[in-house]
Amino acid sequence: MAEIRARGSVIEVKVDRREREALLQIVDRVLPMVDDSALATPRAYVDDVLEAEFRRLSGPDLDDTRAVDLEVLRSTLRTQGPIELSEDQAWSWLRMLNVLRLALAERLGLAEDGWEERFSQRQHRRPPLATLHLLSWIQEELVESLPEI
Amino acid sequence: MGACALGYAFVSAVHEGVAEHLETVGSGAPEERRDRPWRVIVWNDPVTLMSYVVVVFRRILGYDLETATKLMLQVHTEGKAVVATQPRERAEVTVAQLHAHGLQATLAHD
Repeated sequence: MAEIRARGSVIEVKVDRREREALLQIVDRVLPMVDDSALATPRAYVDDVLEAEFRRLSGPDLDDTRAVDLEVLRSTLRTQGPIELSEDQAWSWLRMLNVLRLALAERLGLAEDGWEERFSQRQHRRPPLATLHLLSWIQEELVESLPEI
Repeated sequence: MGACALGYAFVSAVHEGVAEHLETVGSGAPEERRDRPWRVIVWNDPVTLMSYVVVVFRRILGYDLETATKLMLQVHTEGKAVVATQPRERAEVTVAQLHAHGLQATLAHD
């Protein structure tokens, strides 16, 4: 199983070749859900006119950030040898993992707190829930490995 | 008394200014009312990790661990929390940053 820990100024992500391929496949599969996800692309305003203006101004920056984050996640997963993330790269992972988790959760209809109890142990251990748990686990470990602010 | 040195005219002018401002705020066009501070509200969602919300609050809003944790718990238990009150343009930047981090953030004012 993967291991994530701070080592000096970098965060080391120990994942073997199979785990890397699995993660890249998950990214490819969940990414198309992001555009359809209200949770992954939330509104700033209730008012439609204000919201449209907000989107016009901040939309391009959001798209740029997501594109960079996605590229960082994919390119570091494709690295030969150990994955060593800078703090900025770790934040790209964190942001992209959260967006993927939101989109996946929305697709699975997990709209309320306490959704975990709706499923059996067996369901939790198999895709698609296991996929969500894997992404959660990586995100949690990355948060724990961030340098003290 | 120091206050007397200001004189009646000054105090009166300030009062008039305040009254005029209040009038503008009360009956003005939406553009004028936008100058007042806006609340940045973060809403609960079913999957975002509590530990992640805390580090995002610390990074974007500059809060210490205690404040960030308190606000995160408020979002979790009450469904939402006002995490900042800022001028509109600043508040929009904050919301855009929170959105980029995958948090459900909106803007509101009275």
